[in-house]
Amino acid sequence: MKIVNLKVNGVGKTFIARPETTLLLALREQLGLTGAKRGCAQGACGSCTVLLDGDPVVSCLIPAMTVDGGDVATVEGLADGPVLSDVQQAFLDGFATQCGFCTPGMIMSAEALLDRNPSPTRDEVNEAISGNVCRCTGYEPIVSAILDAAERRRAGANL
Amino acid sequence: MLTEVHVPEDVPAAVSLIAAGATIIGGGTLVMPALNNHGSPPTELVSLRRTGLAGITVTGSTVTIGATTTLAQIEHDPRLAILHPVVRSIASVPVRTLATVGGNLFARQPYGDLAVALVALNAKAVLASQEAPVELPLGEHDPATAGLGKRAVTRAGLEERDTARAGLGERDTATAGLEERAPVTAAEERALVTAVTFELTAPGAFRYLKAARRRYNSASLVTVAATITEAGGVRVALGGVSDHVVRAVRVEQALAGRPLTEETVAAAAQAGLTELSPADDAYASAWYRRRVFPVHLRRALLGL
Repeated sequence: MKIVNLKVNGVGKTFIARPETTLLLALREQLGLTGAKRGCAQGACGSCTVLLDGDPVVSCLIPAMTVDGGDVATVEGLADGPVLSDVQQAFLDGFATQCGFCTPGMIMSAEALLDRNPSPTRDEVNEAISGNVCRCTGYEPIVSAILDAAERRRAGANL
Repeated sequence: MLTEVHVPEDVPAAVSLIAAGATIIGGGTLVMPALNNHGSPPTELVSLRRTGLAGITVTGSTVTIGATTTLAQIEHDPRLAILHPVVRSIASVPVRTLATVGGNLFARQPYGDLAVALVALNAKAVLASQEAPVELPLGEHDPATAGLGKRAVTRAGLEERDTARAGLGERDTATAGLEERAPVTAAEERALVTAVTFELTAPGAFRYLKAARRRYNSASLVTVAATITEAGGVRVALGGVSDHVVRAVRVEQALAGRPLTEETVAAAAQAGLTELSPADDAYASAWYRRRVFPVHLRRALLGL
């Protein structure tokens, strides 16, 4: 057992981690943030994707004890009250979600992409979400939504 | 089950824990999938995250990459442009943020494409143990270094061995790009890869081509990495065609002193077929991998 401190969506959090507590488990079971999902627990499906120190990670593969002091961003931290983030709004407008299980991971991967690359090509979007598996949509609406979000973000920056 | 996760602050502390039997975890992308999905006997992990082993230095043409440097860090370092196609062919973005260079040496085939590239680049692994540090060439089986190779394999087999002991995986996975596999015994020394180092090649001299089922995030069907040396030779390493990284010695011998033409490369591929021992797996059949190999050797070396 070890006390772990994390900044989660900008707020300091402290919890007790057991050795087998993954970052995903801590977020879901101890901090009540159930946006990130446990899909495969193998790092293959991407439904647990969050940002750790600004970079996208599969949180199911990270023992929580190893990231004490880290800065974590989850899908819960994106909206400003009722106002969705540009990526979330683009997903909503573009019907880029069906069952929704993959959506938080998709959105966090998209956020990470747009943070690094404001003008991605369609192929770069494909690469960015290649670790996020969706079994409903066929990906096309998701890729289009991310490109749409990029356009909105660029337009917003120009205002 | 995991009974302890050590997070040592330096290499000597990590080496002591390894010597005491703890299993190394770098980025966790190899160790954690096994631990997440299976019951396991009590397992202690030693995380390398805070050991200060991450970092890339380029001095002249000499590149040294710390063992816990992530694939993403390579991908975003403009000095390592020759490795960008390699790391971008491996796994997905959120996995590359975690996966480390040191860990990739121990990925079981048909994964571990960076190890294939490093063998082709004649890279060396720097090892730390409770004795003096040593450097080991990857992919060599020179009898003179057999003892060292055995030690490297000891380390190389570490994660797999612990996994095997935990009842989670296979014992006999070839690792670290070392062709020579030695049996691992409990008495053998346990060492830690702290860095890999290699010389940057002349522009265009390093070739890399990976055949996979999808453009991104898919295991290797056949991976070809090659360095064309100034002396007119070619150093070739292959992934996806065996249970370990293959240094394609017969391909190299067939091409030694000859110009790279369709004819010479086709003949070298024929010679190289005898070095392959591909598997049937979920990605491709052994038959298909043998068919793909000559095509991708040609494309890697000739660009056509």
